[in-house]
Formats: sequence, structure tokens, C-alpha cells
Amino acid sequence: MNPIAVIGAGFLNASETLGGIVMVLVRILRAMMPPRFDRDETWLNLYKVGVKSYPIVIMTAFFTGAIMVIQSGVYVKQTGATGLLGWGAGYAVLAEIGPVLIGLMFSGRVGANNTAELGTMKVTEQIDALRTLAIDPTHYLVVPRFVSMMLMLVLLTVLGDLFALIGGAITSEFVLDVDYRVFFQGVFNSNLLDEFFTGLIKAITFGASISVISCHYGLTVSGGATGVGRAVNASVVSNAIGIFVFDSIITWCANSALFK
Amino acid sequence: MTQPSFRDTFAQDMPPMQQGPGPRSAKQLGDVVLRVRGLKKNFGDAVVLDGIDFEMRAGEVVGVIGPGGVGKSVFVKICCGLLEPDDGAIELLGQDLLAIDQKSRQRLRERVGLVFQNYALFDFMTVGENVAFPMVQRGTAKPDEIQVKVQERLAEVDLPNVRHLMPNELSGGMKKRVGLARANINDPELIFFDDPTAGLDPVTSSKIFNLIRRTQAQRNSTCLVISHDIDRMRPACDRYVLLLDGRVHFRGTEADAMRSQDPIVQEFFRKGDGSKVGAA
Repeated sequence: MNPIAVIGAGFLNASETLGGIVMVLVRILRAMMPPRFDRDETWLNLYKVGVKSYPIVIMTAFFTGAIMVIQSGVYVKQTGATGLLGWGAGYAVLAEIGPVLIGLMFSGRVGANNTAELGTMKVTEQIDALRTLAIDPTHYLVVPRFVSMMLMLVLLTVLGDLFALIGGAITSEFVLDVDYRVFFQGVFNSNLLDEFFTGLIKAITFGASISVISCHYGLTVSGGATGVGRAVNASVVSNAIGIFVFDSIITWCANSALFK
Repeated sequence: MTQPSFRDTFAQDMPPMQQGPGPRSAKQLGDVVLRVRGLKKNFGDAVVLDGIDFEMRAGEVVGVIGPGGVGKSVFVKICCGLLEPDDGAIELLGQDLLAIDQKSRQRLRERVGLVFQNYALFDFMTVGENVAFPMVQRGTAKPDEIQVKVQERLAEVDLPNVRHLMPNELSGGMKKRVGLARANINDPELIFFDDPTAGLDPVTSSKIFNLIRRTQAQRNSTCLVISHDIDRMRPACDRYVLLLDGRVHFRGTEADAMRSQDPIVQEFFRKGDGSKVGAA
């Protein structure tokens, strides 16, 4: 096959996907003006997205904090700079590792589930049934998911940050013999508020991108069960790419603002 | 493809039509509730509908028949606004379906019901919630009124005791009946049935068609029924439209069909399902 044709087809495919994602976002924003939410569906999604995700987020964050401390522990021990342990772990967790890792976990659990759910509704004509009942699927299904994912990813990131620091403190106490108070002193003396808020901005953005991307793939499924599987796969990959792209952009913007 | 304007298409044979929102009852429309002209739909290179002309009047039950894959479901989905045609014009309950905006189309859908071939019940809701859902979303009735109406509709389809079950706990025939109850909950003027007996045994199929006729007679609604089960749909339908090769091949009553010398019509109406036509 002609390589130019292959590149062209890939480009067209990517453009179509990107265009579809933007269209979902436009429809969501249009459906939210004026802000109207299906209360039951929003509560249900807040529960499914947030409450059911917190165990996995706590576990991931706790061990991430522990790993950060173990990795830096060797150098801290060698140099005796125990005060830097809290700063290093806090900086990495709040600004980068926390939101990104939790975002990736969230996209794997919630985003994939969302695509599968909407995709199954699409292939079993439940989306069409909504439309024939004069109910806008964007308003009824997509907006509650968008709002829930954005809100809950922020809350889960705060929770994850907290447990990552707790994991780091426990590890420093029991593995490195560095008092946990020294660890937390390092965190609080480092003035990491900017990093914390940068992390929250990332969480909001990741929540929005995961919801929009996963809804797009769910609503455009075709081809039955195989199609749903393909859509879930594409959704997880695209969400991961989206997280890293937005992470780079926000990090660059935040650093430009902080160090100008 | 350039689409001729709706006015051009109907200029000669149509009364002035209401544009945009502003529902009128079917009776006020000079009896025509659905009028289709020159409807075309392709999927890639496959021509599915190739210029369908069709008309339906208030209170009628019309059976749309034809071999499998001829485009019957596509036709219904276009008439409901779920699919966009490539060409043609559709007047649904006095409004130009292809010209009105999304909000007007949504208001129009409140007056139309559709029973899906594969049930399309919401699998995350109980049967009662499924039937109540259109009323709840409309937000014009009180919760106790909704509950009473749900019970009425379920009783009409002979399912008075299933409201707390989930759809996956029902048989195929029961799901179809729940679909019918849901489509009827807001008293639509026009109901489309997309192969309501697909996959059902002959006895249950007959029950479904009898149920369609009974509920239609109770409300004097208009029904368009897609099926290839001619024998069992006979008690339900006033007249038939036979689709073949993307076009209307025959239209008329059962008596017209029986008098017809057309071998394809004979094949369908005298042998029952027209399966040989599809094979040919």
C-alpha cells in the first residue's frame, strides 16, 4: 500500500476522532447553558465515579508516596539531608505524580467503564430509545458524567495527595528511620501551595478530558460487542494520551507563570 | 446531493403545512399523520431506500412488509428522525421533519412512540421505572399520578405484577409488551412498531398483534407496524405496504392483495412470509 495513502488515512482518522471529541464538548457546553442537571443521574454518577473509586485511589496513592520516599532514601541517607525528603516527595506528589497517576487510574476504571456503558446502550438502541422519548442523550447521560468526573477527580486527587504523603511519612519512619515529623516539616516548610493548586488544575482538566473522550467513544460505537471492545480499548489509549498532553501543557504554563 | 425543498416536493398535493413548534392534534391535519415523498437512503454503495412514497391517515394501522434487509427498519428510523435520509421529504404530524430545528423535533417526538425490534429497555431501571421514565422526564405529572398511569399501562399489556423486576428477568415477549407500555405512556398520536414479534413464538406473536390492535382501538392512535409475519399481523392491520428493492412494490388492503395477479404479492400474502422473495 502507498505509504502516503497510509499516512493520509491515519491523519484523516485522527482528525475525525478529534473533531468528534470537540463536538461532544460543544454539545455538553451547549446543554449546560443554562445549567440544568438530571438530579438522579448526577447523584448516581457522583457515587459511581467517586465513592466507588476511592479505595483504589487511596491504595495507589499510598504506595506511590512510599515508592517516592524509598527511591530518594538512598541519596538522603548518603547526604544526611533528611529535611529534603518531605520536600522532594511533596513536590513530586502534589504537582505531578498525584494528579497524573490518579488520572490514569481514574481513566482505566471510570473512563473505560463509561465507554463500555454508553457503547452498550448504543448497540442495544437504548440511546435511540432516549431520543424517541424526546430526551436529549447529551443532557441526560453525558452532562452528569462530565460534571461528576470533573468534580470527583479533583476530590480524589486531594484524597490521593493526602494518602501519598501519609504513605511517604510511614515509609520514612519505618524504612529509612527518618521521623515522620521531619518528613511533614519538610512538606509544610517548602511552601508547596502553588504545586498543590497546579495539581488541582490538572485534575479538573483530566476529569473533563476523560469524560469527553470516553463519552465520544461510547456514543460512536458500532458493530455490537466487538465494537464495544474496540471502543473501550481506543478510549483507554486516547485518555492516557490526553492526560500526558494536558499535563505537559499545564506544567509548561504553570512553570512559565511561576518562574517568569 | 442537492435536496429539493419540502415545499417544491409537496407543492401540488399537500395542504399548507405548519412550520416549527405548535402541536396540532392528528384529527386537525386533514387526517394525514405521515407523508413521505421520494425517500432515499444509501449506506455506502448499498441502495437501501430508492424513492419511497408513503402516506398514512389518523386512526389507521398500516403494516409495512417485505423481505429481510429491504430497509423496513431504516424507513421507520428515518420517519422517527433517528436517521437522516439522503433525499426526499417527510411530513410528520403536520411538520416538515427535515426542516425543523432540534427543539421542534424533540417536541414532535413527544407525540410519537416507537417500539424497538430489540426492546431497547433501559437495563439499569426496573420495569416500572422504564415505563414511567418518559412521564418523569416530561415533568408535568405528579409522582402518584405517574404511578397510577404506569400500573394502568402495564395492566393493559397483561403485565400487572412485573413493575419491580429488572428487564433481564423478563422473557422476550414480556419485554416487547413492556416496550409497548412505555411507548404508550404519554398517549402518542402515532406509534411505530419495528418488527414487534421478531424472535417470538407464533402464539406470543399473535398476542402481541392483538395487543397492538386493542391499545390502538382504545386510544384511536395511528400505528405503523413493520413485520414479515403476515399471517399473524392480519388481525391488526387495516392495509399494507410491501417494500421491495428500496421501493414500494404494493399498497392496499388484504383483499386488494388477494386479488392481485402480481406473483410477488401472491407469494407474500398467500404463503405468509415471502421468504422466497427475499431469497430470489
